[in-house]
Amino acid sequence: MKNLLYNIIITAAAFVLTTGCVEEESFDNSPQGNLEALWSIIDERYCFLAYAEEQYGLCWDDVLTKYHKQAADAESNAELFDIMGNMLRELRDGHVNLSSEYGMSYYWDWKLDYPINFSDSIQRNYLGKDFRINNGIYYTMLQDSVAYAYVGSFANAFGNSNITAAMMQLAHCKGLILDIRNNGGGMLSAAEQLASHFTTEKIHCGYIQHKTGKGHNDFSKPEPLYLEPGKGARWLKPVVLLTNRGVFSSANHFTMLMRALPQVTVMGDKTGGGSGMPLSSNLPNGWNVRFSACPILDKEKRHTEFGIEPDTAVHISSEDWDKGRDTIIDAACKHILQQAQEQEKNNQHT
Amino acid sequence: MMRNKDTYTILTLLLLLPMLLPSAAVAQHCAHEAINPYRVVQRSTLHGVSLLNTLDTYLSGYDHKGAGYHIQHETLRRAHTGSYNWIFQTRTSATLGIATQHNNSQILLMASRCWSGYHPFAIGRHLKILAGAQIKAEGGALYTPAYSNNPVSAKISATVGASVAAIYTFSIGEKEYKARYTMDLPLTGAMFAPEYGQSYYEIFGLGHTKGIIHISSPLNAPSMVHTFSIDIPTKKSTLRIAYTADIFQSDINHLRTHIYNHSFSVGYVRTIYKVKRNDPIEAYSPL
Repeated sequence: MKNLLYNIIITAAAFVLTTGCVEEESFDNSPQGNLEALWSIIDERYCFLAYAEEQYGLCWDDVLTKYHKQAADAESNAELFDIMGNMLRELRDGHVNLSSEYGMSYYWDWKLDYPINFSDSIQRNYLGKDFRINNGIYYTMLQDSVAYAYVGSFANAFGNSNITAAMMQLAHCKGLILDIRNNGGGMLSAAEQLASHFTTEKIHCGYIQHKTGKGHNDFSKPEPLYLEPGKGARWLKPVVLLTNRGVFSSANHFTMLMRALPQVTVMGDKTGGGSGMPLSSNLPNGWNVRFSACPILDKEKRHTEFGIEPDTAVHISSEDWDKGRDTIIDAACKHILQQAQEQEKNNQHT
Repeated sequence: MMRNKDTYTILTLLLLLPMLLPSAAVAQHCAHEAINPYRVVQRSTLHGVSLLNTLDTYLSGYDHKGAGYHIQHETLRRAHTGSYNWIFQTRTSATLGIATQHNNSQILLMASRCWSGYHPFAIGRHLKILAGAQIKAEGGALYTPAYSNNPVSAKISATVGASVAAIYTFSIGEKEYKARYTMDLPLTGAMFAPEYGQSYYEIFGLGHTKGIIHISSPLNAPSMVHTFSIDIPTKKSTLRIAYTADIFQSDINHLRTHIYNHSFSVGYVRTIYKVKRNDPIEAYSPL
């Protein structure tokens, strides 16, 4: 009996000796402490530091030096919020935001530094008054039997039956202009669901990675991303996908998926990017920070964080703008009619 | 592929586990208590308040503190194999609470079920020591409503460990009270943990599940549960007041978690005597 109790005590003691409290090093709730905490979260968890260094020479250590002094001199929390927001803007990433009672810090240059290439007033001239709306998809038939659909957001899921119904109503058209300009994103799953109605087979369209450690280059092996055929109607006629700099996040992802399909031509301006899937964390003072954590690469394993170039670059000309014409939609119409003519010729030959 | 850390974990366990093996051998020699062929089942359901301290670096690097509701159901029964007495325990517990750090809140839901088998040793008239093993399944999540992306951190584990208890019976006046202390120590098992920066979309949306299950040990998941309870006889039943310190911890893939759950609960104990068809009914004893 004594031996048994002795062994139990030894086992318990050995257990206690090998265990301890799991804690995390924390920063002070002071202006400098909060700035250091924010800097540290980005340093350890943000996924594009190495890429940003390669693209435009960002040195994250220098950023700390630059803003630390400013934080120490901050006279109010509102001022500190602006300083920390400015520090995050050094990353040039629209997915990085600081939020608090003072609002949310944004980086908008990815969009605002470029031509807008979209006008909802001009779009009205094309949609007319007979357009339909089905679960966030605005669609109509333009002249010469060209279908036009506008998807302004991926914030909500589409129903397969909604997509199918829209496609069936446009089925007699020669091709589809799918306009996602100014679509700032939403859910990746919504983007994937819509894209899945444009393929009949499983298509390899990119890769996804995540960070495995705190180092700037600690990444998992890129895992392939596939686009699976969706349930319901599939559109296999020519598609022209219209993009501009306002196409961001999951809309950027949608562009990457659609580019992998043979019947799709991307037209317009380069997308805004935002290929990192964001995670969130918080600071000692309770402010929240959102940051890109998982990079998504295209099928050539290239980053799409700073946007995807179109197959055919087209901008709205000032003459067309004044006339209420959308140069990009007109070019897309021509492209589809050209493709339809070529297909007809091919059919006659065969 | 097994990692170096896992290998180290297994080696540690191999060093720790033999300490229990001599105990089992001695237990066989010491088991000279009279065979009790009667099955006594004791059930208790306790309700209480939990004081919470949560840290999950996947969501936040700072402690969140709060409170919640705790429920615990326990069944104890005696059994015998040959000339040895055993006590089997099943315990199910759940906590729902909210913890905050400044304006941020985390909602916690954790539930566990464990199955323990003990061999009892009487030390004198009043003290009984129980030593045994335990299998535990635990699951739950921390949810941060303020986060638009990836607001959840799931906690799932299955462990095997040691459990010891001491039961002290004492009288005040004509009433007999029972104080019990139990310590559960998970020694090894399997635990879910995403990679450092892996999103749940990648795991559950894309099915990239490779490397999300880890071997747990006191080195990477030093968890334990301490329970102290007192049974107070009342006119028609027995009242149980309990304090439980449930310490759930893990440090896997540079992601650190602790959920310290101190619960104070109260409830009634029901004792059921399951008499087999051929058993005489005059001799039975509660645990």
